[in-house]
Amino acid sequence: MLLRVSVVESFPLKKILIANRGEIAVRIARACREMQLSPVAVYSECDRSALHVRFADEAYPIGPSAPRESYLRIDRIVDTAKRAGADAVHPGYGFLAENEDFAAAVRDAGLTFIGPTPEAIALMGSKTAARIAAKRAGVPVVPGTEDPLSADVTDVEIARVAEGIGYPLLVKAVAGGGGKGMRTVRDAAELAGAVRAARSEAGAAFGDAAVYLERQLTRPRHIEVQLLGDHHGTVLPFVERECSIQRRHQKVVEETPSLAVSPALRAEMTSAAAAVARAVGYTNAGTIEFLLDESGRFYFLEMNTRLQVEHPITEMVSGVDLVRWQLRIARGERLDVSPDRLLSPSGHAIECRIYAEDPDNGFLPSPGRILQLRAPAGPGIRDDSGATAGLDVPIFYDPMISKLIAWAEDRPLAIARMRRALGEYIVAGIKTTVPFFTWLFEQPEFLDARFHTTYLDEILKSREGRPFVEPNAAEEDIAVIAAAIQTALSPAAVDISPAAGAEAGLASRRWKARARTEGLC
Amino acid sequence: MQYEVDIDGRLRHVVVMRVGDRFTVSVDGRTSEVDATRVDPYTLSLLIDAEARSASGAIDGIAGSHEVTIAPDPATRQLTVRVGTVPIAVSLNGRRRWGRKDDGGHAASGPQRVVAPMPGKVVRVLVKPGDPVRARQGLVVIEAMKMENELRAVRDGTVTEVQAREAASVEAGAVLVVIA
Repeated sequence: MLLRVSVVESFPLKKILIANRGEIAVRIARACREMQLSPVAVYSECDRSALHVRFADEAYPIGPSAPRESYLRIDRIVDTAKRAGADAVHPGYGFLAENEDFAAAVRDAGLTFIGPTPEAIALMGSKTAARIAAKRAGVPVVPGTEDPLSADVTDVEIARVAEGIGYPLLVKAVAGGGGKGMRTVRDAAELAGAVRAARSEAGAAFGDAAVYLERQLTRPRHIEVQLLGDHHGTVLPFVERECSIQRRHQKVVEETPSLAVSPALRAEMTSAAAAVARAVGYTNAGTIEFLLDESGRFYFLEMNTRLQVEHPITEMVSGVDLVRWQLRIARGERLDVSPDRLLSPSGHAIECRIYAEDPDNGFLPSPGRILQLRAPAGPGIRDDSGATAGLDVPIFYDPMISKLIAWAEDRPLAIARMRRALGEYIVAGIKTTVPFFTWLFEQPEFLDARFHTTYLDEILKSREGRPFVEPNAAEEDIAVIAAAIQTALSPAAVDISPAAGAEAGLASRRWKARARTEGLC
Repeated sequence: MQYEVDIDGRLRHVVVMRVGDRFTVSVDGRTSEVDATRVDPYTLSLLIDAEARSASGAIDGIAGSHEVTIAPDPATRQLTVRVGTVPIAVSLNGRRRWGRKDDGGHAASGPQRVVAPMPGKVVRVLVKPGDPVRARQGLVVIEAMKMENELRAVRDGTVTEVQAREAASVEAGAVLVVIA
């Protein structure tokens, strides 16, 4: 049992260094502004013009574009925080957010880390240790290995352990996250190869090749519970999030509440989540992930010791600003929200992660310059983005354009609102997953909320690569007309009509001169 | 002015006559009146009045207000025209120098150059020169950003060049396969 007993003081915060980029850095800067705190940005070479730099009071370069030379450089970030006179560091999500060495380095530098303690990160960040902690708190866990399988565990030994867990199973990275370092194993014959591949991927992604085995449940749902814990012993859970729509283990659509969770089940799951967090003395924001099987049994999967990408949907139905509370908790304030309010959602919220990927080309990343961007707006629509027209989507990081969130009084209305918003979303110059979401929000199983964690992969496979949205005859005609008129309006246009004579020749010589300096396509 | 517009391998013949902001546009002989405004370099606002002034008949279903964005796609050298929520790949007949011989009416689209969208490593090459390929057929698998991605043909064609080599590292923009 890990309880951090400390004299809780109030830590006045004035200046916050945001150790991240993109939309989450913008999100944190906004929370700072609303609290009259001064946001400080750091940026890699390719992020000089990024929105989070422009939203900050001060901005400092921290190295070349590759993450391991910039956003993952603990030394440069902590030095920059000290130089800038920051009181605190917010890690966002990804990058160093769940790195206990980073949290410790911030603390050792005399600064406040906006998140849990390094000890809590280390404990819950180890997937095997977290499972043990959950079991001790009386929460069932997905059947799996107790101890991580280090590099010297033999194939024979691994096979023996696997027999005890049962097939199908997953090989997962102990230090893992975001679906990386995971492999599915259907039977004993696939085991050795899968373990090798998972170890290799885990070593490359996280610097730690230790893996563990976990039973793969059939058609489960991924249900998670947001938590806030203050430094006065209070831990409060929120209404669950439904995150079963995943492509290759990456979440793509999240919503709250889950139609598969009754009030009674909600009470059980949120209590269980809070129990685990209390048992390890957890503070600040975190999320406990569960798998819910078809019979309504739930199992602890893992804990994320940070703010999550999908936090906005919880904010929309609870009316609670999670980033603001992260800062307030770090300041030493007490959680003074009514627990019941957090468990009784107002309306329904859905989030689509809009990525710069080509859905008609296997979701291939589509980096490049955003020529034009217009995000949706209007009632019940929230777009959390770091992208603006004129910016390049860099190749070095996850190609997220924005998180598009729709809130309405109930799920059908939230879906209709999301469809409306997707229709307004203009991004020119790169491919995005907007057409894919347009298609998804028409699928009967999605509309009926009849899905599980492999639903999306299955339905995508059955499409065999057909385009998600095909133009009808009228849309093709309009496209043809538009392309022709655009060209006619452009000085680089050249007439191919054989009827044009000398007069056109004079005009075209002028056009040619401009065309040389102004290329069209 | 006349254009040949290629959508998905099909050629449409378009004639545009302009009077100020108003255009009379005929697509394959069917005519509409269009009020067009360029909102910004990539966005057109079209008010299409499909009541035919000509005897050849109006185009069905396109009347009304349409916001269309048009932007070049550097990978395919086509235009991406977004109508409503649908992105459509379109090619216009390329610029022709005045006074040169007619190119013989070839299709508006040139060869497909399949390039690496970002730095990565070639994992598998699935075609060789001379292979016929269909639209969306896989050509090369590259590994980038820790995921494997299959690059596919945009249109039907025949492979003329394969520059990708298995296990080779490639830079963004490197030409991997050319399809005529």
